[in-house]
This record gives sequence, C-alpha cells and structure tokens, in this order.
Amino acid sequence: MDGKFAKLSPFQVDPDKIPPVLPPLTEEDFSPAADEEKASMVEKHKSVSYWRDAWRRFRANTVSMVALAVFTLCLLFAFVGPKLIPYSYGDQYRSSQKLAPFTYSKGEETVRSIAGSCDGFYATALQRGSITALSKGDYFIRYKGRTYAFTLTKAVEKSVIILNSGAEEPLIVVKESAIKNGEYKDYKPIEFTDTPAEGATEIKLVNRVFPHVFGTDSAGRDIMARTMYGTRVSIIIGVVAALIVLVIGSIYGAISGLSGGAVDFVMMRIVELIYSIPEVLIVLLLQVVLKDPLQNWFDTSTSAFAQGLGDLGSGIVSIFITFALLYWVTMARIVRGQVLQLKQQEYVTAATALGAANGRIIRRHLLPNCVGQLVITTCLQIPSAIFLESFLSFLGLGVSAPMASLGSLCSDALETLSLYPYRLIFPGVILTVVVLTLNLVGDGLRDALDPRLKK
Amino acid sequence: MAGYIVKRIAVAILTLLVIICITFLLMNAVPGSPFLTEKSTPEMIARANAKYGLDKPLYVQLFNYIKNYARGDLGTSLKMQEGTSVSKIIFHQGKFALSLKLGLYALLLAVVIGIPLGCIAAYNRGKWIDGFLRVVTTVGVAVPTFVLATLLLVTFAVKLQKLPTLSGSLPDFKSYVMPVISLSFYYTCYVAKLTRTSMLDAINQDYIRTARAKGVKTRALILKHALRNSLIPVITYLGPVMAGIITGSFVVESTFSIPGLGKYFVQSVLSRDYPVIMATTVVLSALVILMNLVVDIAYKIVDPRITLTSKED
Repeated sequence: MDGKFAKLSPFQVDPDKIPPVLPPLTEEDFSPAADEEKASMVEKHKSVSYWRDAWRRFRANTVSMVALAVFTLCLLFAFVGPKLIPYSYGDQYRSSQKLAPFTYSKGEETVRSIAGSCDGFYATALQRGSITALSKGDYFIRYKGRTYAFTLTKAVEKSVIILNSGAEEPLIVVKESAIKNGEYKDYKPIEFTDTPAEGATEIKLVNRVFPHVFGTDSAGRDIMARTMYGTRVSIIIGVVAALIVLVIGSIYGAISGLSGGAVDFVMMRIVELIYSIPEVLIVLLLQVVLKDPLQNWFDTSTSAFAQGLGDLGSGIVSIFITFALLYWVTMARIVRGQVLQLKQQEYVTAATALGAANGRIIRRHLLPNCVGQLVITTCLQIPSAIFLESFLSFLGLGVSAPMASLGSLCSDALETLSLYPYRLIFPGVILTVVVLTLNLVGDGLRDALDPRLKK
Repeated sequence: MAGYIVKRIAVAILTLLVIICITFLLMNAVPGSPFLTEKSTPEMIARANAKYGLDKPLYVQLFNYIKNYARGDLGTSLKMQEGTSVSKIIFHQGKFALSLKLGLYALLLAVVIGIPLGCIAAYNRGKWIDGFLRVVTTVGVAVPTFVLATLLLVTFAVKLQKLPTLSGSLPDFKSYVMPVISLSFYYTCYVAKLTRTSMLDAINQDYIRTARAKGVKTRALILKHALRNSLIPVITYLGPVMAGIITGSFVVESTFSIPGLGKYFVQSVLSRDYPVIMATTVVLSALVILMNLVVDIAYKIVDPRITLTSKED
C-alpha cells in the first residue's frame, strides 16, 4: 500500500476486516415479538401523538383556553339551558307581554306569593297560549307516590289548584283574585280518589315560578328561552355550514392539486371566478329564489330527508345551499396548496408505485396529512357562517318565526329599540361572544396544530 | 405591466358576464310573475309580459340584457312608476352616489385610522397600549355591523339625542357619523390587526437593523422603511373590504333609513323587479370587480418585486 495515502486518510479501513453488522437473517427473526421482549423495550420518552402534542400546546395558551371555556359556557347555555327553564321558545304566555328583565307577570306574582305555603300548584293564568282554563273532565295529579284523581264538573278559570298534603283538605281551588299577600280565604276543596278514571289527564304541578330573566317580548314569549334557542340555531347553522364547506372544499382542492395540469388549471379558474363574485348579492338572490321551490318540495315530498329539511325551514336550507355553492373556494385553495406540497413526498410516490388509485391516495395519504389545516380552516369558518346567517336573518331573510336565531332576535328587537334596548343587547352580546371565542379558539388551534405558522 | 392590465380587464369583463348570466338564471328560477297581484287576470299578465319582452325565449332575453348593458342602457323598472328607467333611479336620484359616498368614507376611515393604530401597536409591542389595542381589535372583528349600528343608534340618537335617528340622504356631517362608523368599525379593527402583524414582520428584517445602525430616526424608520413593506397585505385586503362594505351598507342603510343602493337592492329582490335586480347586481358587482382590479395594480406599484403574471403558488 502507498504509505503517503494511508497517512492522509486515517479513517480508511480494510474492507475485509469490517465485522458484519448484522448476522444473516433467519426465519425466526420475522416472528412477532414475545411479551417479555416487548416489556424489556426501554422507552426513554413516551411517544407523543400528534393530537396530544397539539393539545399540550393549546393548553399552554391562556387566551385560547379561556375562550374555549367561555364558548363551552355558551354551548351549555344553548343546549342545556332550555331544559332548566320552564319556558319554551315558541310559547306565548298570557298576561306576560313586554316584561322587563327579572320580573314576573301579575299572575305569576300572585301565585308566587303562595309558593312557600304549599307543596305545589297549577295556575291556569300561567299556562301557555290560549289555554287559560281547565275544561271540565277527569284529571289526576301524582305527588310523592300518591295519586289524587278528581273530576271537574265545570271549567276552572283564572284559578289556582293548590296541593298541600299536610293540610286537612289537601286539594283546593282558589280564585286568583282571592289571593293577596300570600294568603287566601275563599277556597273550594276538591274531592278526590286514589284511582284515576279511564282517560283522565295528568296535571303537572309546579312549586315555584321562574322569573323572565331577559324579560318577555310583545307576544308574551320569554326572551331568555328564545335567546337560548336562537344561540342553538346559530351555532348549529355555523357548524353544519362549516362541515359542508369542509367536505366540498377539501374534495375539490385535493382533486385539483393531485391532478395537476389542465384539470388543475380549469378547476382553479373556476375557483377564481367564484372568488371574484360578490357573494352577498348572489346570496340575497338565492334566499329569495330558493324559498318557494324548497317549501314546495318540503310540502309534497314524502321522503324522510325532505321532511327533516322541512323541519329546519327553507331559510336555513338555502343558507346551507349558499355555502355549498359559493363559500368552499377558500378551503379548496388551502387544500390544493397543501396537496401540491404533500404529493412530492416519498410515501405518495411509494403508494403510486404500489398501484394505489388516486381516490385512495387522497383518502389515505393526502387528507390525513393536512388535517391540521382542515381543522383550523373549518373552525374559523364557523364564526363567518354565523355572521352571514345573522346578517341574512337581520335583513328579514334566513330564519323565519316562530323559529329564532341570534340575527332574527336582533332584528325583532329593532322594532322596539327605543323602549326596550335590552332586547337587542342580550342576543347581540351573545352573538359577539360566540364569534369572538370561536375566533380565539381558531387562532389557538392554528398555533397548536401548525407551529410553523406561529409568529 | 400593460399586458397584465389588459388581461385583468378581460378577466373582469368575463366575471361580469358570468355574474349577469347567474343573476338572470336565478331571477327566472323564481316562480311567479312580477305582475301577479290579486286582481290580475292571465290575459293581463300575458299583455304585460309581451310589453316588457318577458314572453321571448330566455336566451333572447339574456342576450337583450347584455346588448343593452354594453350600450349603457340599464332597462326600465317593472314596478316603480310605470317605465321609470333604472339608470335614472340609480344614478340621477342619487342612490348610487349616496352608497358610494358612504362606502368610500368608510373605506377611508378604515385606512386612515386602522393603519396608524397598527403601527402604534407594533411599535409599542408588549406595552399596555399594544395590549389595549389588541383587545379592542379582537373584540371589534367579532361585533356584527348591525349590532354596532343599533347600539350606536340607541346610545347617541335615542338616549343622548346628540345625533339624528334618521340619516336620510345624509344632508350634514352629523348624519354621516353613525353610518360611517358602524360600516367601517370592523374593517378598521381588521386593518389595524393586519398592519400590526406585517409591521412586526418588517421590523425584524435585516434592512431595518441596518437603517437603525446607520442612525435613522425612529419615526423615519417606521414611516419610510417599515411601513412601505408592511402595507402589502393591507392592500391585498382592500378588495374584500370593498365587497364587505357593500354588504354592510345593506344593513346600515336599512338601520339608519338611508335611501341608498343597498336598501333599493333588497327591496327590488323582494318585489321581483327583474330589470332592477339585474341592474343593481351588475352595478355593484362592477364596483367590486373594479376595486379588485385597482387593488391588484396598486399591489404592483407598492411592491415591484411581485411579478403579476405568475400569481399562482
């Protein structure tokens, strides 16, 4: 060997002297690991999954966590709240029109004063809509395992049926006008038996009257119940619209990005065209155009799908259609950009080499890898959908009565704005809070899921 | 540059044509006739249809619309005072001017207030004023225009009685205050946020450090060196702003009772006044498209590095 050369390269070794790194593989090497082998594996750090890692980053972000907590409160308000209050969004309560926040109607005030002195009561004045009297017939009340069955020989009006199981005469009927300062003199005992007659109606007793926390509107509907319901409608519309955008946008974007060439060119020109259309003009037109045909379809079609959509009303369905037609372009652009990057990766080449069809590559390899972007964009799409819906409802399109959304509640409040400004403030503030918290959660998700984007 | 502008104008005209076609199809998909009232008989409707050319095949009607628009004729209203020309309603009765004035003032306010606020926030990064502005702008982009408009109305017109409830055709300065503020508030906040982010980006660049080392004064540094580069994202955002301001003007015009184009559009959609719907859509779309065109060209002037021909990737 040349001595000079050996001096210059101290790392050079004789290839024949290199010990074999691995012994030749045998059949046994391919058998699954036994349990003790697995147990002896030492993990220095537990491997952290993508989502766990993202959640850890998200948790460290105070603003987003607070926003998430507040948004959860809004969700509870919208979805659990209606179960906790005795009023419902469409019911009109007689004698409770135009009440201020935290007040009771006169009838409620009267019966409230006796609430402490009995087990429960049924007041005809507090009942919904036009039911202001109990017609004659058979009724029964269940209370603490006992049944009180009785027959009314004539209708009971403007009265309270009181149950006081400790008293000598447990079941009495009192005229509302006879109740003053929690006391009543003039009352008639009701005779009762333990077994209800055939076809008797059950009467639900209440033992307290709930205040109208946000007041009531001109039709005697409880505004808090309506606001809860409206929040629910708005959030559902936002989420469904965002999902529609997600599905259409990601499929379109993935196809465009993966295909490339002329297909991509044509598809992207279509996106650009839709992008430059001032959507709101078309949205307003669509709202009007779709209203009658949709209603017609709901009325005539018997399929479960049409019925289900019919329950939502044509306004909401046309909002969904609008989103499906016009709002997916941003999502499509983002997904296309991601796919263009990802399709250069080796695993896509490998999948293609193994003979995977394009559909499978999109489903198995491309979309799961841009899931972070998809989650972020979808999350930020929700508030913009809520914005659009409330805007349409405010103009009198979109949701129609007795249904309510936050936008339509604001629009209703506008008529009586100078007298009852709080009717606008409640739904307006909740709308703002929902949009704000969703924006902040979306920002937090972006920082957590895609740390490269963090500034 | 010239080639690019020609190409962009061609695309803009194509977009406008597509919008005309879509609007026309949508409009004709609405069941019912604009002449249908309780008293109208089938013969009367047929006569009215013949008079306004609604009995012709759809493609002929569409072609007529496009031909007339190309000549600058916006057609005649079917509903308002028998045969009033639409262009007269839009342009001569001042509806367009009213909406345009409102929109431009709002745009101006968003730029004139939003950009300095963003600069102040970026320059005082981490100090209380930055925190304060961040809270305001974050909340600001979550308040819907109609909530803000109505709150302003209650506070300043109803309770304090400082400003007029009905703005009408905006006769004086006072009547402008609330509509313009409520229209531009969202965009002011957004522009401020955007400016802050891109300003921070610019401040961290090497050329700023060089300029600072050279002894350039802070004010000159921000105004001359950093601002110019940080304006690019703001300018790209102005196209969507214009579209958004038109949207917002629908709400603002109906809240403050301003007889502008937005209110007129909503009315005409509800009453199915075909030529008016078409004309208003075309005029408003043209405005938005023109604005996008101007923005794209302004983009190039602000940042000559951008090659406009390959806008993709």
